[in-house]
Amino acid sequence: MTELAWLTVAEAAELLRSRKLSPVEYAKALIDRVERHDGRLNAFLRFTPELALEDARRAEAEIARGAWRGPFHGVPYGLKDIVDYAGLPTTAHSKILRENVATADAAVTQKMRAAGGVFMGKLSTHEFAIGGPSFDLPWPPARNPWNRDHFCGGSSSGAGAATAAGFVPAAIGTDTGGSVRNPASMCGVAGMKPTYGLVSRRGVFPLAYSLDHVGPLTRTVRDNALMLDLIAGHDPLDPGSAAHAAGGYSDQLELGVKGLRIGVIRHFYARDMEADVEVTAGIEMAMRKLAELGADVREIHTAPLADYLACNRTILTSEAFALHEKWMRERPQDYGALARGRLMAGAFVRAADYVNATRLRRKMADAFHALFSGIDVAVTASSMDPPCRIDDPKAIEYTYARQARAPFNVTGGPALSVPVGFSKEGLPLGMQIVGKPFSEALIYRVANAYERATDWVKRYPTLA
Amino acid sequence: MPDDSLTLEEIRRMAAEIGMTRLTEEQLQQLLRATRTARARRTALPMANLGPADEPAHVFRLEDTL
Repeated sequence: MTELAWLTVAEAAELLRSRKLSPVEYAKALIDRVERHDGRLNAFLRFTPELALEDARRAEAEIARGAWRGPFHGVPYGLKDIVDYAGLPTTAHSKILRENVATADAAVTQKMRAAGGVFMGKLSTHEFAIGGPSFDLPWPPARNPWNRDHFCGGSSSGAGAATAAGFVPAAIGTDTGGSVRNPASMCGVAGMKPTYGLVSRRGVFPLAYSLDHVGPLTRTVRDNALMLDLIAGHDPLDPGSAAHAAGGYSDQLELGVKGLRIGVIRHFYARDMEADVEVTAGIEMAMRKLAELGADVREIHTAPLADYLACNRTILTSEAFALHEKWMRERPQDYGALARGRLMAGAFVRAADYVNATRLRRKMADAFHALFSGIDVAVTASSMDPPCRIDDPKAIEYTYARQARAPFNVTGGPALSVPVGFSKEGLPLGMQIVGKPFSEALIYRVANAYERATDWVKRYPTLA
Repeated sequence: MPDDSLTLEEIRRMAAEIGMTRLTEEQLQQLLRATRTARARRTALPMANLGPADEPAHVFRLEDTL
């Protein structure tokens, strides 16, 4: 049997269902791993082994009497600490919400609990999903399991770190300008920002209402599809929820890429921004691999990256400041410096500029999605650089903006980050596979074909 | 490039107008840098091809409940 820490959700589900693995034994193994190693990684902001064991015992009893609920029954998971779990604080990693105890579960939490998942705890985030990595908050920032001196991305930093470290096989993150995909890229795991509205945001502390997405982080593409199968679906209590059929994301995984048309948005990382040579090499090697597997790989062009970033940042900072203005008036000292500075950028955006950005958003989304009449999916960079040192504020600031993820918060279509190798320093590199709205199954199909043709997911970090 | 014409005194007045009166000098400097960056971003919005019929992407919608 694979070491329990590295079981995929799919592998664990089969062992649990057939009673070859006890949910309690599985939970205890991961609890022990977190207790041994998380003091150096800080993936968990609030670790809840007592709740995990309670869930695991319940799952064990249910499975024993033949009431297996599905692939997440007895499987450990974590929630980014902007997602509500009834009875526990949702802090957003901020002093401001330190005592903010959730009175109800978020929609995604309800789904994970109904599926019989084993809740391991709340995961570190950048403060309010925007300010990090910060050392001036009540809790330390998460670190990269591949090298704890390096940044693990964010803002779903604990979700990326915990998944990569083998603390949990699956975690829930959120993404407003790239916050699922950034830690996925930097920690070497799969992270999906689904179509806007596909996963309910009810019970998730907002950053920017019209750009916020909830998505899964897992070590494999198959697990990611399984988790999206579970958490996707219309929620009439989320005003942005899409009334669209959901599910079936793992159905096409084994169909391969032969004959699929894959567009490469090379200008994002070769002209609009110049990516690090190792990042570029990783993506180009991935393109060659997909071509070898039978895909028709061709270059495509969209609006310049800077246009998307200006649109995303104008909307994001405006909506976020509207939410934070009261606290900025009353207790500005209670924010960490990074979150305060990034949120302040929305203080004096003119109303006309905000409205124009939302007008541009629609136009850019329509133009981008029109490209899919000639291709099936597109591929581009995620981060332009490998993970920098976490104690180097200049490098953090420099690399923070060097990304090609925000365009897909603007367009609202799905975008998945998958590993494409490692830097010479042994740090993960990633790329994005993106599609038209509601094409998650096709994206997973391409990602799975690539994953199976490489061995990136078979490498694990050594935790000292 | 950030718009450097905005001064610390101007940002202090603007902050006071929206009730942000508890900022330290360091936090006012932070607000100044953030606002300069945001103003520069305004000029980066590609407005040239936007026509009057280009409407915002709405989240607000009404359900047919009557």
